[in-house]
Amino acid sequence: MAVDITLLFRASVKTVKTRNKALGVAVGGGVDGSRDELFRRSPRPKGDFSSRAREVISHIGKLRDFLLEHRKDYINAYSHTMSEYGRMTDTERDQIDQDAQIFMRTCSEAIQQLRTEAHKEIHSQQVKEHRTAVLDFIEDYLKRVCKLYSEQRAIRVKRVVDKKRLSKLEPEPNTKTRESTSSEKVSQSPSKDSEENPATEERPEKILAETQPELGTWGDGKGEDELSPEEIQMFEQENQRLIGEMNSLFDEVRQIEGRVVEISRLQEIFTEKVLQQEAEIDSIHQLVVGATENIKEGNEDIREVPHL
Amino acid sequence: MAAAAAATAAAAASIRERQTVALKRMLNFNVPHIKNSTGEPVWKVLIYDRFGQDIISPLLSVKELRDMGITLHLLLHSDRDPIPDVPAVYFVMPTEENIDRMCQDLRNQLYESYYLNFISAISRSKLEDIANAALAASAVTQVAKVFDQYLNFITLEDDMFVLCNQNKELVSYRAINRPDITDTEMETVMDTIVDSLFCFFVTLGAVPIIRCSRGTAAEMVAVKLDKKLRENLRDARNSLFTGDTLGAGQFSFQRPLLVLVDRNIDLATPLHHTWTYQALVHDVLDFHLNRVNLEESSGVENSPAGARPKRKNKKSYDLTPVDKFWQKHKGSPFPEVAESVQQELESYRAQEDEVKRLKSIMGLEGEDEGAISMLSDNTAKLTSAVSSLPELLEKKRLIDLHTNVATAVLEHIKARKLDVYFEYEEKIMSKTTLDKSLLDIISDPDGTPEDKMRLFLIYYISTQQAPSEADLEQYKKALTDAGCNLNPLQYIKQWKAFTKMASAPASYGSTTTKPMGLLSRVMNTGSQFVMEGVKNLVLKQQNLPVTRILDNLMEMKSNPETDDYRYFDPKMLRGNDSSVPRNKNPFQEAIVFVVGGGNYIEYQNLVDYIKGKQGKHILYGCSELFNATQFIKQLSQLGQK
Repeated sequence: MAVDITLLFRASVKTVKTRNKALGVAVGGGVDGSRDELFRRSPRPKGDFSSRAREVISHIGKLRDFLLEHRKDYINAYSHTMSEYGRMTDTERDQIDQDAQIFMRTCSEAIQQLRTEAHKEIHSQQVKEHRTAVLDFIEDYLKRVCKLYSEQRAIRVKRVVDKKRLSKLEPEPNTKTRESTSSEKVSQSPSKDSEENPATEERPEKILAETQPELGTWGDGKGEDELSPEEIQMFEQENQRLIGEMNSLFDEVRQIEGRVVEISRLQEIFTEKVLQQEAEIDSIHQLVVGATENIKEGNEDIREVPHL
Repeated sequence: MAAAAAATAAAAASIRERQTVALKRMLNFNVPHIKNSTGEPVWKVLIYDRFGQDIISPLLSVKELRDMGITLHLLLHSDRDPIPDVPAVYFVMPTEENIDRMCQDLRNQLYESYYLNFISAISRSKLEDIANAALAASAVTQVAKVFDQYLNFITLEDDMFVLCNQNKELVSYRAINRPDITDTEMETVMDTIVDSLFCFFVTLGAVPIIRCSRGTAAEMVAVKLDKKLRENLRDARNSLFTGDTLGAGQFSFQRPLLVLVDRNIDLATPLHHTWTYQALVHDVLDFHLNRVNLEESSGVENSPAGARPKRKNKKSYDLTPVDKFWQKHKGSPFPEVAESVQQELESYRAQEDEVKRLKSIMGLEGEDEGAISMLSDNTAKLTSAVSSLPELLEKKRLIDLHTNVATAVLEHIKARKLDVYFEYEEKIMSKTTLDKSLLDIISDPDGTPEDKMRLFLIYYISTQQAPSEADLEQYKKALTDAGCNLNPLQYIKQWKAFTKMASAPASYGSTTTKPMGLLSRVMNTGSQFVMEGVKNLVLKQQNLPVTRILDNLMEMKSNPETDDYRYFDPKMLRGNDSSVPRNKNPFQEAIVFVVGGGNYIEYQNLVDYIKGKQGKHILYGCSELFNATQFIKQLSQLGQK
């Protein structure tokens, strides 16, 4: 285990100081040494580069704090069941998304700017290397914070997609009544119910069961005189057919959605790779151009040599 | 209880982890390092001397240093430019020159703040030197922290460590055994060794029970180490072995056993030709600190006359714990390694083909309605294939690496007929009858002088009776004809005369040559490793002398060889070095340390020995690591005097 001897060091400093005083040795600032120290420490000229780098970092830090603060509310899908404080409307979420994106763009621009300026006045190889590494760290930090943002955005998108899927499911049992009655209101309330309750497959059936008595009452209420048993049967058959069609359509749509999501993910990966390769291809291009020129010159030199 | 038991079982023994953790903490400004995915970046500069470099390089790669926030890593004694606003972490030995250079840095105001870490403890007077320089430069507040790290040893494997690389000559076999060594010089050597061993135990967090043989350099080390540990334990205020450094209740039930042996008990093993992968790489190629350097000749075509000579490409590879193939096969016999590389290559090609096939399937898109339903599966497959690409690339890199390394080793084996020597030496060491006389082999025009010398020395060391004068003259003549230098023989003669070990190394077991079946399979698969003419030898488990000694001591077996070993327990109040151990139970943990140098053959032997025993751990350490070539050189220098 490591042993902290900092205190020992400070004690040594005191010892040396007193010893030097006793010997009358002028050490650096001599007696004023301690005062100089105090003065020297604070207004130490902070390099331009590092102060700006730290500024960028603090900006990114603010973005990160902002995202983390609102994260819970952002992700919360059931905000309309909670109190006023917790609620976040979609417009607010969009606002957050936009702000975050603008922020990220400005940060990465600032980093780019720093990169170009960093190498201007400095001649030392080590300092250049150091600054490049520092900028890499800052970029990495920005990426990590952006990941926070993209994660929660992905969750939000997924929730929206799921919600839409469910809201398509719910009104089906009520289409029966729609034929006979204008039951938009009816379809509204079960769909609202579905939004409130966690989405599971069993729910639709429960709602179906719940609406059955409703149907019954509705049907009764409207009066049996209007619909003869044959018509009811015909309508039921048509309903069944429509349900079948809707189901198959819905399945296909779901498949396509899944595939589209995967394709978009793949495209993201490909774009990343292509961008990476861009830099490499550029350098290869340079090399090839250089090589061609070298070969040309070589050929010319050979031609100049008198044939033996 | 379960957690404590798990901790005891799991990795009390991994010295590599402990040292890495200590280094990471040091790099994190001496504060324990916690991974935080949204933490702000902090950057720093790392300054080290050659000792520090040797310690850090097997443990942390450049990428890992970057992850810890290090932008630049520089040697202490190099030209360094001032980089303002950057904290600097120093990791150096507290020597005069280093201290001077650090004081110079302080005067030149190179960095913003300084975190000084000394590899082994710094003396008070040197600390005052730094204080003086800091005062002169008005930089005292800039020196943020000063630490004694106690990390003065190099860990190469989870269970293997070496004392040093930079100043090997100081503690080499030759340095310890030369006849003209003075007392003061011996003291210095012993102090260096003890300092490193002490650092090792501080990092391990345990106080061992020490056993050593009498009358050897190992005994001197044991006495000094015991004294140092004892002093430290008595000093209650500054003890390094107090409860909080021990951590997680490891060793609270059992203390480890430290067996200190001297190289002189077994000189045959360092000269032995070997057959396991790691030992072969060390013997035959340029392998230090887990890095192997290969020279490859570029191209096989004859260059036209007058053109520049072909340049040889130099390649170096790091053999790290992340390399799964290496971890699995570093102790395997070489033919097995060759086969496994083939297998890995095949499985890699299969995966590659799979990925390529998906590419062609994707071409169907838009053409065939029916294919679209097939696609839903393939989209998922494609995604998984793409995300597994980095893994595949890494696998390819490892396969390339091991193909190159193994090919290089194989070339050496074929050129020098190492398999023949190996088999013969095994026979000599196990005292089975030899089918070819030694003289014949030496007189054989094939084979390098060095290999023949090794063979002869092993013979000379292992025989019960020294060969007669006439025979010896014959051998000597044959050896000189073959081009060998006879100096090592001089030394070995002297050694044999001095050594008190009347008993020769006990049975080594026998080596068998496996039937050709395995070999022909390797050839038939069109392997690159055409091992024709190379015997497919299989090692049978045998215990080298060091392993035997460890076995006796660890299992508390009674054996004339080890019964009169000295016994030290630094924790006991009275300095008691009776030969009667107080502890009657077998040990669960042991550390074997060879004073005078060790090698991978011994290490592998210990690893194999302990594999059979459940729940026991061994660590192997030596004052320096040499291969046979280097050892022969030392012997020859000793023989010259």
